[in-house]
Amino acid sequence: MLVLTRKAGEGFLIGDDIRITVIETKGGAIRIGIDAPPEKKIYRQEVFEKIRRENQEATRWDIQDLEQLSARLGEKKS
Amino acid sequence: MTATIRTRFGEVEYDPRNTLRFVEGPIGFGELRDFLVMPNHGGGPFFWIQSTEDTAVAFLLTDPTGFFPDYRVAPDAGERRRLGLEDGDVCHVLAVVTVRPERQVSLNLAAPVLYAPEKGRALQVVLENSPYSTRQPLPGSE
Repeated sequence: MLVLTRKAGEGFLIGDDIRITVIETKGGAIRIGIDAPPEKKIYRQEVFEKIRRENQEATRWDIQDLEQLSARLGEKKS
Repeated sequence: MTATIRTRFGEVEYDPRNTLRFVEGPIGFGELRDFLVMPNHGGGPFFWIQSTEDTAVAFLLTDPTGFFPDYRVAPDAGERRRLGLEDGDVCHVLAVVTVRPERQVSLNLAAPVLYAPEKGRALQVVLENSPYSTRQPLPGSE
Protein backbone atom coordinates (compact mmCIF):
# COMPACT_ATOMS: atom_id res chain seq x y z
CA MET A 1 0.00 0.00 0.00
CA LEU A 2 1.25 3.46 -0.88
CA VAL A 3 1.30 5.64 2.23
CA LEU A 4 1.38 9.44 1.93
CA THR A 5 1.42 12.13 4.60
CA ARG A 6 -0.80 15.14 3.87
CA LYS A 7 -1.87 18.16 5.86
CA ALA A 8 -5.28 19.83 5.88
CA GLY A 9 -5.74 21.63 2.58
CA GLU A 10 -3.34 19.31 0.77
CA GLY A 11 -4.36 16.44 -1.44
CA PHE A 12 -3.37 14.09 -4.20
CA LEU A 13 -4.61 12.81 -7.54
CA ILE A 14 -5.40 9.30 -8.72
CA GLY A 15 -4.82 9.38 -12.44
CA ASP A 16 -5.78 12.76 -13.82
CA ASP A 17 -9.49 12.70 -13.01
CA ILE A 18 -9.79 11.82 -9.32
CA ARG A 19 -8.71 14.44 -6.80
CA ILE A 20 -8.65 13.73 -3.06
CA THR A 21 -8.28 16.64 -0.63
CA VAL A 22 -7.88 16.52 3.14
CA ILE A 23 -10.36 19.11 4.39
CA GLU A 24 -9.72 18.97 8.14
CA THR A 25 -8.86 16.67 11.00
CA LYS A 26 -10.93 16.90 14.12
CA GLY A 27 -11.10 14.65 17.16
CA GLY A 28 -9.64 11.58 15.43
CA ALA A 29 -11.87 11.94 12.36
CA ILE A 30 -10.62 13.15 9.01
CA ARG A 31 -12.86 14.97 6.55
CA ILE A 32 -11.95 14.18 2.98
CA GLY A 33 -13.15 15.84 -0.22
CA ILE A 34 -13.34 13.80 -3.41
CA ASP A 35 -13.66 15.17 -6.94
CA ALA A 36 -14.32 12.36 -9.39
CA PRO A 37 -16.24 11.84 -12.65
CA PRO A 38 -19.93 11.13 -11.93
CA GLU A 39 -19.70 7.60 -13.36
CA LYS A 40 -17.15 6.68 -10.67
CA LYS A 41 -19.19 5.37 -7.78
CA ILE A 42 -17.80 6.21 -4.37
CA TYR A 43 -18.69 3.88 -1.50
CA ARG A 44 -17.86 3.95 2.16
CA GLN A 45 -15.66 0.89 2.59
CA GLU A 46 -17.82 -0.83 5.21
CA VAL A 47 -20.96 -0.35 3.09
CA PHE A 48 -19.24 -1.75 0.00
CA GLU A 49 -17.94 -4.77 1.94
CA LYS A 50 -21.38 -5.50 3.40
CA ILE A 51 -22.99 -5.51 -0.07
CA ARG A 52 -20.13 -7.52 -1.57
CA ARG A 53 -20.53 -10.19 1.13
CA GLU A 54 -24.29 -10.25 0.68
CA ASN A 55 -23.91 -10.66 -3.10
CA GLN A 56 -21.49 -13.53 -2.57
CA GLU A 57 -23.86 -15.23 -0.19
CA ALA A 58 -26.69 -14.65 -2.67
CA THR A 59 -24.94 -16.78 -5.32
CA ARG A 60 -25.05 -19.87 -3.07
CA TRP A 61 -28.64 -20.85 -3.68
CA ASP A 62 -29.86 -24.03 -5.25
CA ILE A 63 -32.64 -24.95 -7.67
CA GLN A 64 -34.32 -26.84 -4.80
CA ASP A 65 -34.41 -23.62 -2.77
CA LEU A 66 -36.20 -21.90 -5.62
CA GLU A 67 -38.72 -24.72 -6.05
CA GLN A 68 -39.50 -24.92 -2.33
CA LEU A 69 -39.76 -21.15 -2.05
CA SER A 70 -42.09 -20.85 -5.04
CA ALA A 71 -44.26 -23.69 -3.73
CA ARG A 72 -44.41 -22.26 -0.21
CA LEU A 73 -45.37 -18.78 -1.37
CA GLY A 74 -47.85 -20.23 -3.84
CA GLU A 75 -49.57 -22.15 -1.02
CA LYS A 76 -49.89 -19.01 1.09
CA LYS A 77 -51.55 -17.08 -1.70
CA SER A 78 -54.08 -19.75 -2.61
CA MET B 1 -26.53 -18.07 -33.70
CA THR B 2 -26.71 -19.65 -30.29
CA ALA B 3 -24.08 -20.37 -27.69
CA THR B 4 -24.07 -22.98 -24.96
CA ILE B 5 -22.68 -22.81 -21.45
CA ARG B 6 -22.50 -25.50 -18.80
CA THR B 7 -23.80 -24.01 -15.56
CA ARG B 8 -24.11 -25.65 -12.17
CA PHE B 9 -27.78 -26.12 -13.05
CA GLY B 10 -27.04 -27.92 -16.29
CA GLU B 11 -26.39 -26.97 -19.87
CA VAL B 12 -28.04 -23.78 -21.15
CA GLU B 13 -28.34 -22.72 -24.76
CA TYR B 14 -28.81 -19.02 -25.42
CA ASP B 15 -28.69 -16.28 -27.99
CA PRO B 16 -25.73 -14.00 -27.19
CA ARG B 17 -27.71 -11.04 -28.56
CA ASN B 18 -30.31 -11.46 -25.82
CA THR B 19 -28.13 -11.18 -22.76
CA LEU B 20 -28.60 -8.70 -19.94
CA ARG B 21 -25.56 -6.44 -19.70
CA PHE B 22 -24.45 -4.91 -16.42
CA VAL B 23 -22.84 -1.57 -17.28
CA GLU B 24 -20.74 -2.23 -14.18
CA GLY B 25 -20.63 -5.75 -12.73
CA PRO B 26 -22.67 -6.55 -9.61
CA ILE B 27 -20.83 -5.28 -6.52
CA GLY B 28 -17.96 -7.65 -5.76
CA PHE B 29 -18.36 -9.19 -9.22
CA GLY B 30 -17.13 -6.21 -11.21
CA GLU B 31 -15.64 -8.27 -14.04
CA LEU B 32 -18.94 -10.06 -14.78
CA ARG B 33 -21.05 -8.12 -17.26
CA ASP B 34 -23.22 -10.49 -19.28
CA PHE B 35 -26.03 -12.51 -17.75
CA LEU B 36 -28.80 -14.67 -19.14
CA VAL B 37 -32.29 -14.09 -17.84
CA MET B 38 -33.66 -17.52 -17.03
CA PRO B 39 -37.37 -18.18 -17.34
CA ASN B 40 -39.64 -17.82 -14.37
CA HIS B 41 -39.62 -21.01 -12.36
CA GLY B 42 -42.74 -22.73 -11.07
CA GLY B 43 -44.90 -19.65 -11.53
CA GLY B 44 -43.51 -18.00 -8.39
CA PRO B 45 -42.34 -14.40 -8.06
CA PHE B 46 -38.68 -15.31 -8.51
CA PHE B 47 -36.43 -15.60 -11.53
CA TRP B 48 -32.72 -15.91 -11.90
CA ILE B 49 -29.89 -14.55 -13.94
CA GLN B 50 -26.87 -16.61 -14.90
CA SER B 51 -23.44 -15.17 -15.67
CA THR B 52 -22.17 -16.25 -19.09
CA GLU B 53 -18.61 -15.49 -18.01
CA ASP B 54 -18.50 -17.38 -14.70
CA THR B 55 -20.76 -20.42 -14.83
CA ALA B 56 -20.77 -20.70 -11.01
CA VAL B 57 -22.40 -17.29 -10.57
CA ALA B 58 -26.18 -16.93 -10.65
CA PHE B 59 -28.44 -14.57 -8.73
CA LEU B 60 -32.06 -15.03 -7.73
CA LEU B 61 -34.06 -11.85 -8.31
CA THR B 62 -37.56 -10.69 -7.56
CA ASP B 63 -39.73 -7.60 -7.85
CA PRO B 64 -39.55 -6.32 -4.25
CA THR B 65 -42.81 -4.39 -4.51
CA GLY B 66 -44.61 -7.75 -4.51
CA PHE B 67 -43.54 -8.01 -0.84
CA PHE B 68 -42.91 -4.38 0.08
CA PRO B 69 -45.49 -2.30 -1.82
CA ASP B 70 -44.06 1.02 -0.58
CA TYR B 71 -40.52 0.30 -1.80
CA ARG B 72 -39.57 2.92 -4.39
CA VAL B 73 -36.22 3.51 -6.04
CA ALA B 74 -35.60 5.88 -8.92
CA PRO B 75 -32.31 6.10 -10.85
CA ASP B 76 -30.49 9.42 -10.56
CA ALA B 77 -29.29 11.37 -13.61
CA GLY B 78 -25.91 9.56 -13.77
CA GLU B 79 -27.54 6.15 -13.44
CA ARG B 80 -30.11 7.02 -16.12
CA ARG B 81 -27.33 7.96 -18.49
CA ARG B 82 -25.36 4.80 -17.82
CA LEU B 83 -28.45 2.66 -18.34
CA GLY B 84 -29.15 4.52 -21.59
CA LEU B 85 -32.62 5.48 -20.32
CA GLU B 86 -34.48 7.95 -22.47
CA ASP B 87 -37.62 9.89 -21.58
CA GLY B 88 -40.52 7.48 -21.31
CA ASP B 89 -38.32 4.37 -20.99
CA VAL B 90 -39.26 1.93 -18.27
CA CYS B 91 -36.79 1.18 -15.48
CA HIS B 92 -37.50 -1.91 -13.38
CA VAL B 93 -36.23 -2.18 -9.83
CA LEU B 94 -35.28 -5.69 -8.74
CA ALA B 95 -33.96 -7.09 -5.46
CA VAL B 96 -31.32 -9.78 -5.06
CA VAL B 97 -32.65 -12.72 -3.03
CA THR B 98 -30.44 -14.57 -0.54
CA VAL B 99 -31.34 -18.07 0.66
CA ARG B 100 -29.24 -18.98 3.68
CA PRO B 101 -28.31 -22.56 4.58
CA GLU B 102 -31.09 -22.67 7.20
CA ARG B 103 -33.43 -21.65 4.35
CA GLN B 104 -34.01 -18.19 5.76
CA VAL B 105 -34.78 -15.94 2.84
CA SER B 106 -34.04 -12.24 2.60
CA LEU B 107 -34.07 -9.47 0.04
CA ASN B 108 -31.26 -6.99 -0.36
CA LEU B 109 -33.26 -3.77 -0.39
CA ALA B 110 -30.15 -1.62 0.22
CA ALA B 111 -28.58 -2.52 -3.13
CA PRO B 112 -31.28 -3.02 -5.77
CA VAL B 113 -30.63 -3.86 -9.41
CA LEU B 114 -31.95 -1.29 -11.87
CA TYR B 115 -32.93 -2.83 -15.18
CA ALA B 116 -33.65 -0.96 -18.41
CA PRO B 117 -35.48 -3.51 -20.58
CA GLU B 118 -35.40 -1.41 -23.78
CA LYS B 119 -31.61 -1.28 -23.64
CA GLY B 120 -31.02 -4.65 -21.99
CA ARG B 121 -28.82 -2.92 -19.43
CA ALA B 122 -28.64 -3.32 -15.67
CA LEU B 123 -26.81 -1.74 -12.76
CA GLN B 124 -26.67 -2.54 -9.07
CA VAL B 125 -26.88 0.62 -7.00
CA VAL B 126 -26.22 1.25 -3.32
CA LEU B 127 -28.80 3.26 -1.39
CA GLU B 128 -26.54 4.91 1.16
CA ASN B 129 -28.17 6.48 4.21
CA SER B 130 -31.40 4.67 3.42
CA PRO B 131 -33.53 2.83 5.98
CA TYR B 132 -33.38 -0.35 3.87
CA SER B 133 -31.55 -3.47 4.94
CA THR B 134 -29.23 -5.73 2.94
CA ARG B 135 -31.01 -8.62 4.69
CA GLN B 136 -34.69 -7.77 4.82
CA PRO B 137 -36.48 -11.01 5.76
CA LEU B 138 -38.96 -12.10 3.12
CA PRO B 139 -42.50 -11.90 4.54
CA GLY B 140 -44.26 -15.23 4.50
CA SER B 141 -41.10 -17.26 4.01
CA GLU B 142 -40.68 -18.37 7.62
